[in-house]
Amino acid sequence: MRFDLTVLLPHLDALLAGVLLTAEVCALGIVGAFALGTGLGLAATTHGWPGRLARFYVDVFRNVPFVVQVFFLYYGLPEVGVYIDAFWTGVMALTLVGGAYASDVVRSGILAIEPGVVEAARVSGLSRLSIFRRIVLPIALRTALQPLGSVFVNLVLSSSILSMITLDEVTGAARGVAAETYRPFEVYAFLLVAYAGLTYAVSLGVGALHRRLNRHLVAGGRA
Amino acid sequence: MRHTGFTVHDGLLLAQGLGVSLGLFAGTFALGLVLGSAAAVVRHFRVPALGAALHAGLELLRNSPVLVQLFLVFFGIPALIHQPLTPVVAAGVTLSANTAAFVYFIAVAGLDAVGRDQVEAARVYGFSRAQLVRHILAPQAAAFALGPLVGLAVNQLQVTSLVSVIGVMDLTKAGDILNLRTLRPFAVWTMVGALYFAAAKGLTLLGHHWERRLRAHAPPLGF
Repeated sequence: MRFDLTVLLPHLDALLAGVLLTAEVCALGIVGAFALGTGLGLAATTHGWPGRLARFYVDVFRNVPFVVQVFFLYYGLPEVGVYIDAFWTGVMALTLVGGAYASDVVRSGILAIEPGVVEAARVSGLSRLSIFRRIVLPIALRTALQPLGSVFVNLVLSSSILSMITLDEVTGAARGVAAETYRPFEVYAFLLVAYAGLTYAVSLGVGALHRRLNRHLVAGGRA
Repeated sequence: MRHTGFTVHDGLLLAQGLGVSLGLFAGTFALGLVLGSAAAVVRHFRVPALGAALHAGLELLRNSPVLVQLFLVFFGIPALIHQPLTPVVAAGVTLSANTAAFVYFIAVAGLDAVGRDQVEAARVYGFSRAQLVRHILAPQAAAFALGPLVGLAVNQLQVTSLVSVIGVMDLTKAGDILNLRTLRPFAVWTMVGALYFAAAKGLTLLGHHWERRLRAHAPPLGF
């Protein structure tokens, strides 16, 4: 069989709808993962039970396959009376797993801050909240930006698994198109390159943001 | 008579699934390790054309969802070559190639971490390229790469859970079957998750054990 991408042309609208759904679920998931990850990452640096709890959470969500987590949330929770539709299950799953990965990054960002900086702030009489909000968090996030970017890129790749709980995001849409056209090679090859292009664009953007946020750290003020 | 309760045979089914998952993981990880390292050596010696082609292909594999790669190999390639692939072969090919992509980038970083002066010194002593790789580059790069490789191994073990979609009877598929009969998804996915968790934890411990043993003979890393 010849390799012929034009067979995809009549189905572009279905694929585009899938891309939009992927973008939606990923955008919400990334926001959730960022919020959860920041909270967990902060908690994980403490010594008491919040720290232990946060580290246990991260351990569980990093060591159980994402598919199993998704199946548990989508098929398991209704058994105990919690009904959530596929879209919000997807957002929740991405938030929970992304939060676990992001928290590790945020935690090491916080631990990398020089103690002298925080001591100086404390001596200057800043409250604990303002030290955290104005000193610790900005510095930690600046260090964490690039690894956070790759966490989010991985989240976008993981979102393809949501097609297994009937969510017709771009991978789900592509399965439909492959079944309709009988041209699975063209469909999935196109999808592969599309995902790679998307993640490449995201990492380029993160790199540019990283250079911009850190430009004062480079000699001469230019990156 | 209803057959919806859990029986001893369900334990066997899960154990069998776990065995398939672990076996698939071990085989594809070993293959990926060899292929990825070989590609990194090709890259290190700047073999024209081949190095660039490998780099582009592996970058594509690293930046696209494994689920889509599985679909491309299992549904796409047979449609192109008119030769059916069994699920196990498709899963093996996909996971090996995917592992190789991640190993490649870890190995490239490991090879780059070996000082150029050592390479020059070895050249002066008349080492051949093969000797250079065997006695100078590989041992140091391996010590450098071990930490990331353990992390990758835990990740790839979880990635094997995706092969259930194309019909490989792994642990996730066993959970699927059990779920269909017992209609107790909450309990089933919790058990499956716990088994994956235990396997990942065991793998991490094993990895750290090896890391300590290999590092014992390696010079301290100068970073």
